[in-house]
Amino acid sequence: MAVQKTKKGATDTSVDKTVVRALALGGLLGGCDPSCVDVKDGKIVRIRPMHFDWKYERESFNPWKFERDGKVLESNFKGMPSPWSLSYKKRTYSPNRIKYPLKRVDWDPKGDRNTQNRGKSKYVRISWDEATDIIADEVKRIHKEYGPLAILAQGDGHGECKTINTPHGHQARLLEMLGGFTQQVRNPDSWEGFYWGSKHVWGQGIVGMMDPSDNCMKDMTEHCDQVLFWGCDPETTPWGFVGQFASRLCFYWTECDIKQVYICPDLNYGAAVHADKWIPILPNTDAAMQLAIIYMWLKEGTYDKEYVKTHTIGMDKVEDYVMGKEDGVPKTPEWASKKCGVPEWTIKALAREFASKITSIAHYFGGSMFRGPYSHEPARLECILLGMQGLGGPGVHQVQITYGGMPRAEGLESTRFFNPSLPERLTKPTQTTIRAWGKQLIPKTLIHTAILNPPLDFWGNGGIEEPVEDQFVHYKYPIEKEKGGTEIHMMWTDTPCRITCWNCGHETIIAERDPKIEFIVAQHPWLENDCLYADIILPTNTNLEVDDIVTNTRQGTQHHSVILMDQAIKPIGESKSDYEAVLEVAKKLGKGDEFSEGKTTKDLQQEVFSNMKLEKFISWDKFEENKYVVLPTAKDWEDDPVGLRPFYEDPEKNPLPTPTGKLEFYSESIAKNFPDDKERPPIPKWVEKSAMHDERVSSWRANAYPLLLMSNHGRWRVHSQADDVAWSREVVTCKVKGEDGYLYEPVWINPIDAEARGIKMGDIVKVHNERGIVLCGARVWERVMPGVAYVDHGARHDPIIPGVLDRGGAINCISGEGITSEKCVGQATSGYLVEVSKVKGEEMDQWRREYPDEFNRPYDEAAGLCFEAWLDKGGK
Amino acid sequence: MKVFAIDLSICNGCYCCQVACKDEHVGNDWTPYAKPQPNIGQFWMNLTEEVRGQVPKVKVSYIPQLCNHCDDAPCISGCEAQAIYKREDGLVIIDGDTCVGCQLCEDNCPHDAIYFNKNLNIAQKCTGCSHLLDNDENWDVPRCVDQCPTGAIQFGEEADFADFIKGAEVINPEAGTKSRVYYKALPKKFVGGTLYDPVEKEVIIGANCTLKDVESNETFSATTDNFGDFWFHGLKDDRTFSLDLEKDGKKVTIADICTDKDLSLGDIPMQ
Repeated sequence: MAVQKTKKGATDTSVDKTVVRALALGGLLGGCDPSCVDVKDGKIVRIRPMHFDWKYERESFNPWKFERDGKVLESNFKGMPSPWSLSYKKRTYSPNRIKYPLKRVDWDPKGDRNTQNRGKSKYVRISWDEATDIIADEVKRIHKEYGPLAILAQGDGHGECKTINTPHGHQARLLEMLGGFTQQVRNPDSWEGFYWGSKHVWGQGIVGMMDPSDNCMKDMTEHCDQVLFWGCDPETTPWGFVGQFASRLCFYWTECDIKQVYICPDLNYGAAVHADKWIPILPNTDAAMQLAIIYMWLKEGTYDKEYVKTHTIGMDKVEDYVMGKEDGVPKTPEWASKKCGVPEWTIKALAREFASKITSIAHYFGGSMFRGPYSHEPARLECILLGMQGLGGPGVHQVQITYGGMPRAEGLESTRFFNPSLPERLTKPTQTTIRAWGKQLIPKTLIHTAILNPPLDFWGNGGIEEPVEDQFVHYKYPIEKEKGGTEIHMMWTDTPCRITCWNCGHETIIAERDPKIEFIVAQHPWLENDCLYADIILPTNTNLEVDDIVTNTRQGTQHHSVILMDQAIKPIGESKSDYEAVLEVAKKLGKGDEFSEGKTTKDLQQEVFSNMKLEKFISWDKFEENKYVVLPTAKDWEDDPVGLRPFYEDPEKNPLPTPTGKLEFYSESIAKNFPDDKERPPIPKWVEKSAMHDERVSSWRANAYPLLLMSNHGRWRVHSQADDVAWSREVVTCKVKGEDGYLYEPVWINPIDAEARGIKMGDIVKVHNERGIVLCGARVWERVMPGVAYVDHGARHDPIIPGVLDRGGAINCISGEGITSEKCVGQATSGYLVEVSKVKGEEMDQWRREYPDEFNRPYDEAAGLCFEAWLDKGGK
Repeated sequence: MKVFAIDLSICNGCYCCQVACKDEHVGNDWTPYAKPQPNIGQFWMNLTEEVRGQVPKVKVSYIPQLCNHCDDAPCISGCEAQAIYKREDGLVIIDGDTCVGCQLCEDNCPHDAIYFNKNLNIAQKCTGCSHLLDNDENWDVPRCVDQCPTGAIQFGEEADFADFIKGAEVINPEAGTKSRVYYKALPKKFVGGTLYDPVEKEVIIGANCTLKDVESNETFSATTDNFGDFWFHGLKDDRTFSLDLEKDGKKVTIADICTDKDLSLGDIPMQ
């Protein structure tokens, strides 16, 4: 008999401390579903969901509930973090962490800068003192030679959830103190269509999406017969920003018999488990089907004519276009079917289901649908569809599922992704992500053009929180000389992902190697993506290594909370937080005191506590002891008006923030400002092609590149974040192991397309067009419709030939050159033409012969590329 | 005696169970309960997934699989080193200090739940996180259960799950090992399609659909919905059926439908 050794006392499971963290990757001063981190002997033992009732009675949260037909959904009183929150150890202890400051081996600020070798030459170790001296000297030199605006601050984007040590924009705050900077203005890459389109129909919204959306989750639960998940994946994007409550809600809606229809080229992760019906549609052809639905409603009279009369402007013009009076082409289901690949009978059935059932449309950021060429057109058409069915009425909404429309918590000024209740000192860096506040501006989508082909002129700067009117403002780069205008000659980037997450990755690489850019400094915890093109790299640290405070007030969690984040472990290597890194440079420039304001971390934590007026709920001492506080559901939350209900009930008294106060199916503002715009005309239309984009299957280019590339936010990443997590990389949908042992980014293709190309599951393939080659691993299966190649954006860039061939699967390297459309500086990174081909043995052999170093970079079988890959002589 | 009760109808396939298990066991030494799990390659909690059907009728089934903590465990009876034992609470443990690395248990396990650790030369598997259950009063369920966002994976006393177990199944029942891991909604085969009128270019709603098992004559019926769709769920493996689709005197018959896999019959014209 075996000896039974396991009993109480057999092992020591005690821990030294438990700290609370927000481990999603949305950043921008927002948090998520919190986790608890158990620490022992200076190491992380485990990371687990925080139970909200750990230190408080559940009743004190005044928990909300939803109810329909006797079926009830209530909080389960725990955080529901995503898998990479739970595997954050792998992120913090990644073999890809930058352990000390680096200088590119052949970059000499006093001699030859060898900018052409960026992305190719390796790095040597230097001290913080040397690194900050070099940066300070370069800043002074550039200021003297060209002026302050010659420095580009790339200080925007998502990242870890921190407040004091937030990962972006500290350099902008410092540069502003030194006289200004050129700002890379971050366009709303997940919301392009809404931003450039919907705003012109229903006003500003939240980045163009329907606003307000208060209590829509409750209202949809009570009234919807059906929810259309149009290009939306509630099992993917919520992971990055809050957690998994959307998943619980979808299962509950199934229990309530609310039908869930998914319209997307791929069987996305939500469709895989929640869909009652999947309607596969070719990428970026949604506008054709939307027009056919309007055609059906007009023909059969199945829309809310009274509402259209009293609440909307321009239905007559839409009708003329849709019925073919304007251009002789009726937008029939037959017409649409040829463009979008959905059978005519299914389009008719969908039109009738939409008209006869109480229907809302759900998103969680745009997915693929709102990120392609002319994405403002499907976005505006969606507003018209909802408008024709009585938008704002019971169960008729557009929602970011759970991101908006959850019960209101007491004492919150806002549940926006950007918490405005924080002190200005702390919000300033993050302004660089959401507002255009630099003296000279370059839209993030045009950085490569600004370097390679200046000057630029453009309409609307694309800043996320900019008002709709900004889209009619004409900008120039460089600005006038007398205002300090100059081309950029230095770039300072933090937690960067311009190459792998934005448009024209390969062009961007070429631009970053241009001699005009004399100096690039990057700061980041991991040696990846744009860091590989930097001359100096500063090692920053991760969430678990800092003291901070985070307000988990973004909607989508079951309970809002504020957490005091004590440092879990000491910083890895010589890393400092992003704030501390910039502070070191500030000191060298004589701005240390001004930059720190002489405040300690605790001072700043207390400022947040007091600005949030948390003393209403808890004393500072008790907060320090408990480490978190839960904000109770407001007593009167159910009285909040639902979404656009006030407008629905009385549009005269409660107008929309549009010029007419109505839903503007026809936009007089666009007509007036851009009378000749064929890509975004005053009413939304189907645009087959234009000077900007030629990315339809009808194009002559489709002879060589017959597949439509669809790209979404990754299931196993948030944009470029977390691509090195070993425990994700062994999941079947995360990577594909090639015969050479390298974990390739998957490209999904249908068995029909694979067979035609002789491609089998697991093959190394190249996804290519005129803009270059990206290597991927073939995932041949039925989760994608024929005619489509699907690759998530954000995979870690692994340049074999910089600007030509990428092995890491960074698909945006070959995304279209154009922006959303001529007057819209958004990105168009989904719905473009490519071909997928098997990489033949001899082709791979030749590459390997020509680029032996590039193919043999040190590679961790679990985490992939590692730090040593880019160290001169392997760091020895 | 403990059981795992897993309801697949609310499993979203997030892999947090698999990740939480790794977080607990990779790099942490819980001897005598478990020695550290290797960084990658072992899945004591193994979320498996299967894509079923063809465009446009496709589903993904996820099944969290783990040691079945069998009452008639072949790993225990076959272990010559006497390194494996069953605890009073029903959980089965491999004693890493006694294991000699012969890998017999790995071969004997019909559930593929035992992994071999080359570096440590021992067999390893799920312990039900009994190191936490025994030694930490804050824990009354394993890590995979604590993290499960939808409550699909549950753990507790067999008596408390009597109702769940009544309607549940086990994986590999033919192995007869008296598993302590119960599942609801294990995937069964489906057949589905869309019926349409090729002249009117309209879906056909309300058609009677009759699926007949050719051998047993057992019949299943369904009606096409507002998308012209019909679905037959819960079919047995490897049966051969014929399908009649009928409305208003029109009829289509499809023969030789075999449930060796899930089937989307595509868009079917009827005139």
